[in-house]
Amino acid sequence: MKSRITKAIVALVVVAGFSACKKNDSSNLTKGEYILTLTPIASTGVADYLVNVPSLNEGSVTTQGNGQEQDGTYRYYLTHKGKFFSMLYGQGNPGAVTAYNNQNGLLTKLTNFQTETVQAFAPVSDDILLTKIPRTINPAGTLIPYYQVSTNSLQIAKEGTLDAMAPGNNGEIAHFSWLQQVGDKVFAPFFPIKNGSFDSDHHDQAYIAVYSYPGMALEKTIRDDRTSFIGRYFVNGLGVVENGDVYAFSASVSSTTDLIGETKVKRLTDTKPAAITRVLSGTTEFDQNYYFNVEAASGNYYVTNWIYVGGNKFVAHVLPKAEKGAYAAGKELAIVDVSAKTVTMVTGMPGKASISSLSVNNFTPKDGTAYIGVNLTTGGGYVYKINAGNATATQGIKVESGTITAVQYLANQ
Amino acid sequence: MKIKNILLSGVLFTFHLLSFAQNTASISGQVKDEAGQTLPGVSIRLQNTNQVTITDDDGAYKFSSIAAGTHTFQVIAIGFAKQNREVTLAPGQNSILNIKLKASVGQLADVTVTGRTAVKEVNRQAFNVTAIDATKLYNTTLDVSGALDKVAGVRVRESGGVGSDFNLSLNGFSGNHVKYFIDGIPMDNFGSSFQINNIPINIAERIEVYKGVVPMWLGSDALGGAINIVTGDRYRNFIDVSYSFGSFNTHRSVLNTAVTTKKGFTVQLNAFQNYSDNNYKVTIDAADIYTGAFAPSATLRRFHDTYHNESIIANVGLVNKKFADKLLLGITLGQNYKEIQTGARMEAVFGGWHRRGRTIMPTLKYKKTDLIKGLDVTLNANYNIGYDQNIDTVNARFDWYGNRKPNGSNGERSRTHYKYRNNPVLVTTMANYKLSEKHSIAVSNVFTMFNRKGSDELNPASPELEDVKKSNKNVLGVGYNYDVEDKWSAAVFGRLINLHNTSGTSNNSSKNNLNKIGYGLASTYFINKNLQAKASYELTNRMPNAEEIFGDVENLEGNPNLKPESSNNINLGFIYNFKLNDINRFSITANGVYRHATNFIFTRYNQNQQKLIADNKDGVSTIGADGEVRYSFKNWLLAGASVTYQYLKNLQKYDFDNISGQYYTNVSPLYLNQMPNIPHLFANADLSVSLKDVGRKGNHLTLGSNLLFVDQFWLYWPSEGSRDASANKRGIPTQVSIDANAVYSLKNGRYNIAFEAKNITDARLVDNFSLQKPSRGFYLNLRYFLNK
Repeated sequence: MKSRITKAIVALVVVAGFSACKKNDSSNLTKGEYILTLTPIASTGVADYLVNVPSLNEGSVTTQGNGQEQDGTYRYYLTHKGKFFSMLYGQGNPGAVTAYNNQNGLLTKLTNFQTETVQAFAPVSDDILLTKIPRTINPAGTLIPYYQVSTNSLQIAKEGTLDAMAPGNNGEIAHFSWLQQVGDKVFAPFFPIKNGSFDSDHHDQAYIAVYSYPGMALEKTIRDDRTSFIGRYFVNGLGVVENGDVYAFSASVSSTTDLIGETKVKRLTDTKPAAITRVLSGTTEFDQNYYFNVEAASGNYYVTNWIYVGGNKFVAHVLPKAEKGAYAAGKELAIVDVSAKTVTMVTGMPGKASISSLSVNNFTPKDGTAYIGVNLTTGGGYVYKINAGNATATQGIKVESGTITAVQYLANQ
Repeated sequence: MKIKNILLSGVLFTFHLLSFAQNTASISGQVKDEAGQTLPGVSIRLQNTNQVTITDDDGAYKFSSIAAGTHTFQVIAIGFAKQNREVTLAPGQNSILNIKLKASVGQLADVTVTGRTAVKEVNRQAFNVTAIDATKLYNTTLDVSGALDKVAGVRVRESGGVGSDFNLSLNGFSGNHVKYFIDGIPMDNFGSSFQINNIPINIAERIEVYKGVVPMWLGSDALGGAINIVTGDRYRNFIDVSYSFGSFNTHRSVLNTAVTTKKGFTVQLNAFQNYSDNNYKVTIDAADIYTGAFAPSATLRRFHDTYHNESIIANVGLVNKKFADKLLLGITLGQNYKEIQTGARMEAVFGGWHRRGRTIMPTLKYKKTDLIKGLDVTLNANYNIGYDQNIDTVNARFDWYGNRKPNGSNGERSRTHYKYRNNPVLVTTMANYKLSEKHSIAVSNVFTMFNRKGSDELNPASPELEDVKKSNKNVLGVGYNYDVEDKWSAAVFGRLINLHNTSGTSNNSSKNNLNKIGYGLASTYFINKNLQAKASYELTNRMPNAEEIFGDVENLEGNPNLKPESSNNINLGFIYNFKLNDINRFSITANGVYRHATNFIFTRYNQNQQKLIADNKDGVSTIGADGEVRYSFKNWLLAGASVTYQYLKNLQKYDFDNISGQYYTNVSPLYLNQMPNIPHLFANADLSVSLKDVGRKGNHLTLGSNLLFVDQFWLYWPSEGSRDASANKRGIPTQVSIDANAVYSLKNGRYNIAFEAKNITDARLVDNFSLQKPSRGFYLNLRYFLNK
């Protein structure tokens, strides 16, 4: 009888022992003042991992056993006034703003509060300004809710709504491509969209809505018919240089949809070339004396994104005109000198065929260099340091696996 | 030749309804001891045949169709002298034979447990199956999913309180890998008013849990296992009514009743209702919707989580007739209302969004054993004309304090009032023929149709409403059984599944036709009377279901190109019963499982991360084991413990790059890693004490408690991200929950009063994405049961 009990106990212990597998908690949490946001490979619907690293120029990093998980599935970032803001893009679900500071080389959460999901946001004075842009026209009023979140109190200092139909005044919604503080005003370049789609009946027209701050009164809409709309969906098409002049790029990607038989066919409608225009410091009109035809200067490339690195130079993501699309993103980099009106392709980058994507939310110390994430088709990638002076790229920190979505800097507290 | 004929008659059985039923009779009765107490679990064997029946809780038995003539019935029960009774039956006669057994105290040691209850009978199958005796849980407030959660290998993950979404995992397979049946009929069609999270346990007589290999007669394309709820027809005339109320304004009532005339006309009615405010406390990082003021770890009550459902199942028909053991026409009616408090994460809180559902389902059930000698046939059909509604019409944003802030005109998520019908039709047919005492063959066929049509009064022009969403599926199974009773048995089976989908716009629809063949083998061997071994292998296929193909209108986007999933399943199990003496009895069960699934169907976020979408992963393998020990001391103490371990491994070697639209060229760092968000170690323990004749004779008191343990696990890939405390890796912490209950039964179970305390220690229980489950709650349950 006793042996039976023994057998029974042995059986149970075997099952229990089988279950008690080792958990290896080897922590290799890296620390530093630079932040890489990495989307893990084989994403299971988790937002990017936030990884602090000590340097962008050397070493390697992985999300395996490293980095902080975030809440939600899709996030956008900006750094302002010593704080790192992570905006949850919740689509129909509520969005959120999560703020961190850098304590001893690690991002430390300060707040996390719900907002609407926002489509355009930017640092403005001591705040971050967030806007939610509607995609359907409501006869009772089509409104753009905005929030001004104080970087000091980390609370909503002011909120209100803007009339989405007023800036365009053409029966279509003014969809802000991005927001940019210019002096004491907010410039909101936009593209018009029809009710319930991203199509427009308008093309070959640039628009910037000019708002006061913090009052958010629409002061005027400035227009230019030498280019199409400024920026692109979720892309800042404006850059403010040292003397306060504002440069604006257009990718010339307005589109509409035709019904051919039973099938809907999307069609690009702009006829003007991709180009750069200017608003002089202190004015609210396009400078008619400045026009920079990017396609002509580059051998038929166009800009899909850019970052201002100082000295009238931008590091731009560019694509051949033949690969034009409303959301197509450049896999090559070029130095755009807005005063010399030149476009110089960056050398030292990996071959275009081996690149999956380039990060679009990048860091520049404004010294003529920028740090840009290069995601390879292998599943890993590198941060490259781009020198605008000689248009060369230098390989920096290696990312073992994962997609770099942002490269940021935040000083320790 | 014979087999051919039989197969033919199996398929065309409806033509045989009357022609072969002339020369049979039936016999029924009740078995009692000398004191007049009814004896459940008594085995009655019709000698010289393989027919055996077991008396039910009231000592009743029935042989419904046996050949006319003279028969000997052998009656065996533990502790009683064996009896042989000879009876002569005339054709068409419904004979009654009541039996009184004499105690045989001296021979007790020689008599082994041969009389088995239906629950134990199920466990003796060749399949890896666990049966829950639901009758033992009638005095609790459990629903079916709550009862399942106590089974080794099973984990029911709920997202909240009464009526909340659930995801049952069985040996690591979950969601649509596991299929639900009620009396062998797939429940896919039943609608939201009739699911395992709202069916009270009292509807069931027992619940069978098939792990891995699913028997052929449960004709379906289950891949990870199956749950079969057996309602049974235990009593011809009875009433069972219960009502419970408790914390969070929770009210539940259940009415089960049946009236059957001597001539076999029967009316059966099951009705039940659940209501709860679900306003339990949760701990959450809250923020004021107007100011953004942040309050980490605030304790707040849920405020928009009311759930209620009301369901009726009514059947009218004939039982125990020559042409049918059962011919029932019925209707299932149900409705439910569900407020949605949160999204997939508790941070996303809602205050107006809700859903409503309605089930209106006519049903037909037919069953006849020995239609011709040895041939049993079953036919079931139903059609659900009910509908569901998704209602998001409040243009406001809410915070956890219940504050409400207008947010324009787009609803809380997406302004909608979508009302839709899936129009599901189900027909199952099944024929089983016993060639001889040892050989039998069976054929089963399950045919389902799905055709979704809907309208949205707020977005009447939405082009999605025009799309064709049709899916027809047929599962044909053939099986052969060899059975030497109490020695060994084996089953070989094959399945052919056909799926035909139509999707796209009405002018430009695309059709997709898929065929898959599966097969398997299951066997059991009795090493001795107390030790049974089981082994099975199966190649099984799961077709994408209609919701995966067309979306669920809520959070799941359709994927018409989803491929069927295939899996090789191997199961191994042992059951060992022994006793130290007549006082201390033990039962030990141990199971092991190995799976290798290809084109594993899982859900991921879609391109814009707006919704989930079902997709195929190259492969996933599972290795798992579970064990259970039960102990009884005399007749009054019962204790048990079970533990489950499972490890799911990712076999996707190359991951897909959404940006480039190609596979990455490096081997994924997650290849061969443990799959995320799946509990891997959990355990249950229970203890109960039954005291007879407390207060007065016939009044019984049962005290019990239950403990649930779930080891911590990670929400996302375990190897991704730092586990350093400062990195806040998102996981589900180790959970321990303790429930206790006391049941006082009067007049041998006619009146019952039960008191339950759930989550006594008020532990913070969480499941998916940290969605918190109810805090401590108390419930009182009153039940009346009468059987004539």
